[in-house]
Amino acid sequence: MNELHIPLETTKLENGLRVVISPDRTAPVATLGVYYNIGFRLEPRGRSGFAHLFEHMMFQGSEHAGKMMHIKLINSSGGVLNGSTHYDVTNYYESIPSNAVERVLWLEADRMRALKVDDENLRNQRDVVKEEVRVNVLNQPYGGFPWLDLPPIAFRNWANAHNFYGDFADLDAASLDDVQQFFRTYYSPANAVLLMVGDITPDEGFVLARRYFGSIPPGPPLPKADVGEPPFEGVRRGEVEEKFGTLPAFAVGYRAPERRTSDWHALAMLDHALYGGRAGRVYRQLVLEQQIAVDTAGGIQYPVGDLFDYNGPTLLVSRVLHKPEYSPDQALDAFDAVIDAVRQHGIEQSELEQVKVKFRSEYVSSLEGGHGASIPRYGLMHYLACFTLFDNDPSLVNSILEGFLQVTPEQVRAAAQRYLDPNRRAIVFRKPTKKAAD
Amino acid sequence: MATVQLSDPFAQVPSLGPERPVVWPARTRRKLANGLEVVLVESHTIPKFAGELYFRSGNAAAAAKAPGLAEITATVVRTGTEKRSSRQIEEDLRRIGADVGTSAGADTSAIGFNGLTEFSTDLLNLVAELAQQASFPADEFERERRQMIEGLRIARTTPSFLASERMRRILFGAHPYAIIAPTETQVKEYRLGQLVEFYRTHYTPGNALLIAVGDFAAPQMMEQIERIFGSWKPATVPVVPDTTLPELHGRHVHLVHLPESVQTQLVVANHAITRKHPDWLRLALANSIYGGAFNSRLIMNIREQKGYTYSPRSGVHALRQHGYFSVNAAVRNDVVAASLTEIFYEIDRMRSLAVAEDELSDARTYMSGVFSLGLATQDGLASQLSTVYLNELPDNELETYRQRVRTLSAADVLAAARAYFDSANAQIIVVGDRGQIGDQAGLFGEVTEYSAEPE
Repeated sequence: MNELHIPLETTKLENGLRVVISPDRTAPVATLGVYYNIGFRLEPRGRSGFAHLFEHMMFQGSEHAGKMMHIKLINSSGGVLNGSTHYDVTNYYESIPSNAVERVLWLEADRMRALKVDDENLRNQRDVVKEEVRVNVLNQPYGGFPWLDLPPIAFRNWANAHNFYGDFADLDAASLDDVQQFFRTYYSPANAVLLMVGDITPDEGFVLARRYFGSIPPGPPLPKADVGEPPFEGVRRGEVEEKFGTLPAFAVGYRAPERRTSDWHALAMLDHALYGGRAGRVYRQLVLEQQIAVDTAGGIQYPVGDLFDYNGPTLLVSRVLHKPEYSPDQALDAFDAVIDAVRQHGIEQSELEQVKVKFRSEYVSSLEGGHGASIPRYGLMHYLACFTLFDNDPSLVNSILEGFLQVTPEQVRAAAQRYLDPNRRAIVFRKPTKKAAD
Repeated sequence: MATVQLSDPFAQVPSLGPERPVVWPARTRRKLANGLEVVLVESHTIPKFAGELYFRSGNAAAAAKAPGLAEITATVVRTGTEKRSSRQIEEDLRRIGADVGTSAGADTSAIGFNGLTEFSTDLLNLVAELAQQASFPADEFERERRQMIEGLRIARTTPSFLASERMRRILFGAHPYAIIAPTETQVKEYRLGQLVEFYRTHYTPGNALLIAVGDFAAPQMMEQIERIFGSWKPATVPVVPDTTLPELHGRHVHLVHLPESVQTQLVVANHAITRKHPDWLRLALANSIYGGAFNSRLIMNIREQKGYTYSPRSGVHALRQHGYFSVNAAVRNDVVAASLTEIFYEIDRMRSLAVAEDELSDARTYMSGVFSLGLATQDGLASQLSTVYLNELPDNELETYRQRVRTLSAADVLAAARAYFDSANAQIIVVGDRGQIGDQAGLFGEVTEYSAEPE
């Protein structure tokens, strides 16, 4: 019941490109993706927001497919496409009827081989990205809270602590040279994995991968990067103005353990016990029972990532929007009482058993969906990519559940004591500048 | 894969291979003696199942009594039954690895569910309990009432919400579809008895449609559903009367002043059609060429050429009794006029000139291809089945869709654009800071100004 048997075949081309194929003939469609092992953590200093801006540039033209061609060729094949930038990876993906697989590989290979963009493309996408930042952050209530607010308070290394969406001055400073330099440095076959999930046989897929990607030069060795953080000491506090919303809010970040350690397994179960929907302890206590908060949410990398897709210092995040009749300190005290209870007593055996069933159920769903129904098996592709790039073992997608299902209540309590330390954490408050109507 | 081995594999875009047939799974349908309509589809992609129990009554059904009543009713439904407390419900769901979501839109109320197949009996029992034996605890109601008020306060600082709210008021006038959310005062006036009455009247088997998709054997699942839902008592099915819509003559600008806005949310909208209308498919194709797909004209123009906005989109929206066409874009404050000019230029081009054969063919392939993606997941199938059966479309809708798309012509697209992209009478909603927008909005019609605060 707990073991999954998702079929997988993998190969590695001479230039270092890894290829992972998971065939499934349920429907005549496939989801394809190329993941590069570079995210916003490693963008150049003085160029905040660059990894994401660069992601936009990858749709602006390559040697044989000029501007607009990439999007047009996918849509006119009956497919959809997008890309996204994360802490440690950037992805480009397409869901298509399976008769377009070869065309998609041609396009992905062409832009891995030779990005071809000009100053006008850069100016255009810089404008587009600024409107993206406005619509998602600057012109929204609680925009960027807390994913842009916490890292600068929690972290000391610029790699982990800067504004990932980008200061507008840095976006303005980005040049075409920066674009080509970033491309040459990080967008090499050896720093990438190609994924094909759905209606494609491994034999066909490997032949096509070799045909289109095989001749791409391996590229220079990757530069050494330091994403290390000094030990997390003390309580780091910060404040950010909330211009639109009228509810006060705070977020807390605790350092999360490294992936694939026993602490990680235990903290994942604790994370679920705390934040798993309306049964989670934080929501139940703060929203349903004490009615101090209006909304609570959280998790490892919440809300821009999850348990599996990070490869560097990261946070277990809590986000609380509370009623204005409670002071931020009162609301924080109520939150701390919930955390203190799990530090003192851990969680109950029956609670842990429930969490395990729910965790397993959600994991299975995330493999099939993960991005709505428009990108079938996005989650499977995403986890295969992370397990390949970070762990060099895509088959973890079948075996990873095991470690979580073996966690004991004692391990959960120990993880709570080690990681949810009231004296080692970051807290950011969103302070409304407007008063509530009442 | 039909490919010719070339010396330079990049010299030419690979042509599309032969299509594999798209085969829609069989539906198992039954109407139970109490009137409950059931539609089941097997999909064995993951060891789970998902579905919706719909009631064909939403906020529109109670708009005269209390706007938003269906929504607060749905919210409180999940907080207690005659057998289980709120906490018990949430813990039981976690124990079986399931999720339940209760919600209401304009035309329907729904109890959505998904869970592991191994616990399907437990989950269906809970869904049946929520549908028949909700207990409406007074303290849970009071908490949800406050939650709703706080949620509305946040929504009223969100540009996209303010734009939709204004647009629906303008398009629908006295029709219940005009109201997408209640005011705080209206929420404060809800009485528990109103919720209970809405529930008793509308959560009935004759008003319901149960759709389930997943890893089960349909005959056994049907038996199980009969066992669990068969004893549900029938009741009279309520009828929601239609109301005529306001006639909109000429372009008019509706400016919602949101102080300190660093961007302007634009919506251009007009009346269109329902999902059952014979013109639906042609209109959907016209929309996909205009602004419904990434490579559509609008997006290529105001995003990829001009960089005015991040995610402009147009859409055709079908409610049960009426529909509308709308264009949305969040743009830089200093290009409000420039963006509206391009939005109308592209609308007028769709209305004036027949689309070229290659663009038409690309758009048809796009629509039929994207439709087939729905086949690959349980959620995708459930959503397509909902469209078919809630709108009472023909039983073979899924099977014939792609073929019908392929027969559409440039004349169909032109006719649909002329009929439903109502350039001359379009309503323009502009949400932003009045001072930043300046006189740009007034170039497009008489301006009526509104506050972001509710009336």
